[in-house]
Amino acid sequence: MSQLLPYLGVASLLLVVSALWARQLFLTRKSRIELIVSQKREPTSGSSASHRDHGERIFDLGDWDFVSRNAPSEIQEMFLRERAILAISWLRRTRARISLVMRAHVAAVGQIDDLHLATELKLALSYLVVLTLCDLLIVWIWLRGPVRTRKMVGRTLRTVAWLRGAFEQLMARVSAEI
Amino acid sequence: MYVPPAASVFEQILWWMEIATEAFILLRSINARLYGKYLAFFIYLSAVLLIDLLRFCVLTLHPNVYAPLYWYTQFLHAGIGYAVILEIYRQTLNNSPGVARIARTFLWGVLAAVILKVTWNAVSGPVWSPGTTSAELERDLRTVQAILLAGIIALIAYYVVATGRNLKGIIFGYSAYIYASVVSLAFGALPGYGLRPGWRLVQPIAYLAALLIWGCTLWSYSPNPAAETESKIDRDYKLIAEQTRRALSRARSFFKMGGEL
Repeated sequence: MSQLLPYLGVASLLLVVSALWARQLFLTRKSRIELIVSQKREPTSGSSASHRDHGERIFDLGDWDFVSRNAPSEIQEMFLRERAILAISWLRRTRARISLVMRAHVAAVGQIDDLHLATELKLALSYLVVLTLCDLLIVWIWLRGPVRTRKMVGRTLRTVAWLRGAFEQLMARVSAEI
Repeated sequence: MYVPPAASVFEQILWWMEIATEAFILLRSINARLYGKYLAFFIYLSAVLLIDLLRFCVLTLHPNVYAPLYWYTQFLHAGIGYAVILEIYRQTLNNSPGVARIARTFLWGVLAAVILKVTWNAVSGPVWSPGTTSAELERDLRTVQAILLAGIIALIAYYVVATGRNLKGIIFGYSAYIYASVVSLAFGALPGYGLRPGWRLVQPIAYLAALLIWGCTLWSYSPNPAAETESKIDRDYKLIAEQTRRALSRARSFFKMGGEL
C-alpha cells in the first residue's frame, strides 16, 4: 500500500491546486462585483486618512498611561479588553494590506520579460514569513486576552506599536499603487 | 478504453459515447474555426479518435491481437497527452514572457527527470510484459502530467494570469481526467485491484466527463482576456522586486525587534 503514496500525493496535489484556482476564479468574480458596488458608495464614506488616525489611536501608549493612573480597575480591564480587540482587528487589516502589496507585485511583474526565479522565490518566502509572524502575533494577543498583568499589556502594546511603524510603510506603498 | 472481447454492455456504450463525443468536438472545432487556435490540443483529440477507431477495427476483425495492441496504443495515448500540456503552457503564458521562462525551466526539468527514470526502469527491469509494464509506464507518464498541470495551475493562480473560457475548460477537463487516471492506475497496479471491473471503468468515465467539459467550453472561440489595467508602478523588474523585498524586510525587522523585548 505504501507504494501508492507518491501517486496519491501527486493526485491530491493536483486536486488541491485545481480547487484553489477554482476558488480564486469564483472570488475574483465576486470581488469585482463588490468593487463596483463600493466604488459607487465611495463619495459618502470617510477618507483613507481617518483609517490611519484610527491606527495611531489604537496603539497610543498615552491612553494606557492615563487610564492606569486615573481609572478604577474595572475601567482598566475594560480598556485593555477593548484595545486587545482593536489590536487584533488592526492586525487583520494590516495582514490584508500586506497581501495587497504582494498581489500588486505579482500583477506588475506578470508581464515582465526578465523575471528572476530566485528573486521571486525569495520574495514569496519573505511574504510567507511576514504573514506567519502576523498570524502568530494575532494568536499571541488573543491568548493573552485582555492582558491580565499590566506589564504584559505594555509589552503587547509596545510590540504592536513597533509593528505598526513597519506596516505603515507597507500601507503607504499600497496607497501609492492603488 | 480497454474493452475485452466479452465486455459488458455498459463498457460498449461508454466506448461508443467517447468516439461520438470526440468526433462531435472535432467537427465543431472545424466549424467554429477553433482547430487552428488550439492546434496541439485538437491534434491530441484527433489522434485519440484515430486510436479508438483503430482499436475498434482490430477488435472486430482480429480480436486475438486486441489486448497487446491496446497496451501499446495506450502508451501512445499517454505520450500524446503531453501535447495538451504544451498547449496549456503556450496559451496560458502567451502574454507573460517572464512567467513563461520560469515555466519552461520547470517543464523541461521535470521531463528530463522522468525520461531518465522511465528509461532506467525499462532497462533495469527483469521482464518486459506489455500488460503490466505499459500500465506502469502510463501511470508514471500520467503522474508527470499531473505534476506539470499542478505546476502550471499554481503559476496561473499565483500570478493571477487571465484565462478565457476555452483554456479554463481544457485545463479543468484534462486535470479531472489526469487525476482519475493517476488514482485508478496506482490502485490498478496493486495485486487484486487491477482485475476488478470497477477500476477499469474509472478512467473511461473520467475521460467522458473531460470530453463533455471540452464540448461545452470549446463550443465557440473565447480567447484569454488582455491584461485589465496598466499598473502605474514602474515596469523595471529589478526596481519592483527591490521595492517589494524592502517593504517585506522592514516588516520582518520589526518583528525581530519585538522579540528582543
